[in-house]
Amino acid sequence: MARYLAMRVAQSLFTVFLIVSTVFVLVRLAPGDPAAAIGGPTATTEDLQAIREELGLVGSIPHQYWHFITGLVQGDLGLSYSFRQPALEVVLDRLPYTITLAGAAILLTALIAIPLGIFTARRANSSWDVGANIGTIAGQSMPEFWTGIMLLTLLSVVVPIFPASGFTSWSGLVLPAVTIALLQIALISRLVHREMAGNLAAPFVTVARSRGVAERALTWRYAFANSSIPVVTALGTRFAAMLNGVVVVEVVFAWPGIGSLVVRALETRDYPLIQATVLVTSLLAIGVQLLVDLLYPLFDPRVRVGKAVSR
Amino acid sequence: MTLLDVQDLQVELMTTGGVVRAVDGVSFTVGRSETVTLIGESGSGKSTTAMAVQALLPRNLAVVSGRCLIDGVDVVARPKEAAKLRGRTVAMIPQDPMTALSPVSTIGRQLGEVLGRKDPSSSRAARQNQAAELLDSVRITDPRHRLDAYPHQLSGGMMQRVLIAMALAIDPHLLVADEPTSALDVTVQAGILDLLMDLQDRTSAGILMITHDIGVARLVSDRVHVMRDGRFVESGEVEAVVGAPQQDYTRRLLDAVPRLGAWEGE
Repeated sequence: MARYLAMRVAQSLFTVFLIVSTVFVLVRLAPGDPAAAIGGPTATTEDLQAIREELGLVGSIPHQYWHFITGLVQGDLGLSYSFRQPALEVVLDRLPYTITLAGAAILLTALIAIPLGIFTARRANSSWDVGANIGTIAGQSMPEFWTGIMLLTLLSVVVPIFPASGFTSWSGLVLPAVTIALLQIALISRLVHREMAGNLAAPFVTVARSRGVAERALTWRYAFANSSIPVVTALGTRFAAMLNGVVVVEVVFAWPGIGSLVVRALETRDYPLIQATVLVTSLLAIGVQLLVDLLYPLFDPRVRVGKAVSR
Repeated sequence: MTLLDVQDLQVELMTTGGVVRAVDGVSFTVGRSETVTLIGESGSGKSTTAMAVQALLPRNLAVVSGRCLIDGVDVVARPKEAAKLRGRTVAMIPQDPMTALSPVSTIGRQLGEVLGRKDPSSSRAARQNQAAELLDSVRITDPRHRLDAYPHQLSGGMMQRVLIAMALAIDPHLLVADEPTSALDVTVQAGILDLLMDLQDRTSAGILMITHDIGVARLVSDRVHVMRDGRFVESGEVEAVVGAPQQDYTRRLLDAVPRLGAWEGE
C-alpha cells in the first residue's frame, strides 16, 4: 500500500510538472506582449525593452525556462506584474474563495442530485420520472452565464433577497453556488438514476428481496452501495474541475476567486501570475483525483490492493 | 399438507415486442417434504412461474392472474402479504450464484441480516456464531474465516452453498430452487443437489425445482411437470414421465441428454 501510494504521488507530481512546463511555453508562444500591456500605447521601443529587462523576459525561452524551474523548486514563482506582489501569494489569497464556492456547489449538488436520482430510478416511467427528465435536460442545456444572470435579475434585482456580487456575507455565496449546482445536479442526477436503475434490476437485489429484505434497505444498502463508485468518481472529478476556477460564474458574480483572477492575469499577460495559478490549481485538481482514487477501496472491496485473497 | 397450491396461473409480460403470455394457465401443488419439478427448455415459462409464485415479478412489467396459495395466503390477490411471506416461509435458491450476492458486503454481513430479521433481539456475536454454524452445515470449511470474505473471493459452488445457508437460516416451508445448478461445474452440481436433499430431510420443506436438466429432475423429484410455451404438456410421477413419456416433446427432451457409451459410428 505504501509503495502504491508513493508511486501514485510521484506520478501526480510528474503530471503537474508537465502541465506547468506546457503552460510556460504556451503563454510565451501566444500573441500579446506583457511589456506592451504594462507600457501602454504610448511606450517607445526603448521603454518596452526596459520593461522586458525588468520583468526578466530577455534571453531565449530555454534560458527563461531554466530560470523559472530553479525558482519553482525554491517556491519562488516571481512577482506578479500587475499586483507587484509574489504571484504565489496573490493566488493563495484568492484560493479560499474558490474552495468555498466549489465546496458549497458540490455539497449542494450531492445533497440534491443523489436523492433525486434514486427517487426517479425507483419510479421509472412514472410522471415523476418524466418530469425530472425534462427538468434535468433543461438544466443541462442552460449555460451558466445565462442561469447566473437570470438568478441575479430575479433574486437580487427584482426581488432583492441576495447580494448581486462579491463575497461580503454568507448570503453572497447562495447565487453563485446555485448557478454552478443547477448544471451539476442535472448531470449527476442522471448518472445516479442510470446506476440505480441498473442495480435495482440486478439479480442480487431480487434475491435479497426474496429473502425478505425491506425495500428501503434494498435501495440503500444494496443498490446504492453498489452505485457509489461511479457517483463518487463523478463528484470528485467535477469538484476538481471547479477548483480550476469556475471562470464564468466568478466573473458574472464578481467572485474574488481563482477564476476571475485567471481572466485578469490573461488580459494583462501576467506570466508569473498565470503560471502560479496553473501550478496551484493543477496541484489541487490532481490531489483531489488522487484522494478519490485512494477512497475507492472504502466503497468497493474488489479494488482493495494488497489484501490477502482466500479462495 | 399442501404448502403451495397453484390454480390456473397466468402471467403476461410486457416486452419491447409487445405483450407475451409467458405462463398460460398452469396448476400444480407442492406438499411438505415433497419435491416438484418444472422442466422445460429456455423460454418455456418455468422461471417466470417460479418468480410469480414468490410475487417477485416487477409489477409494472408483469400481469399475474389466477390463484396461488402459500400456506393458505393468496399471493396473487394480496402481494403485500406475499412480501411478508418472503424470507419467513418462502426462500429462493437463485440460478446464478455469482450475481446473487451484493458484491460490496461480506458474507457474514449478508447472512447476519437474514438472522437479524428472524430474531431482532439477538446480539451481533450470537448472529456471527449462528452464521458460522450455518456455513458449517452447508459443508463450507473454515466457516469463521469465510464470514469476513466478500463474494468475489469465493468460487461459484461455494457461493451457492452460502445462498443455501441463507435459505436454511430462514427455515422455510417452501424452497424455490430456480435452476440451482445450471451455472455450476458438473463436478459441483452433484454436491449442491445432495445438500438440497439433505436440507429437505432435516427441515421437511417442500421444494419447487426449476430445471432444464432431465438428469437433475430424475434425481430429486417426486413429481414432474413438463412445460412448453407456458403450458404443462405432461405431468406425473417422475419415473412414469421419464420411463414412458407420452408426449413427443418429453421424448425429445430425454433424447437431448448425452449418454455415455460406446461410439456407434455411422
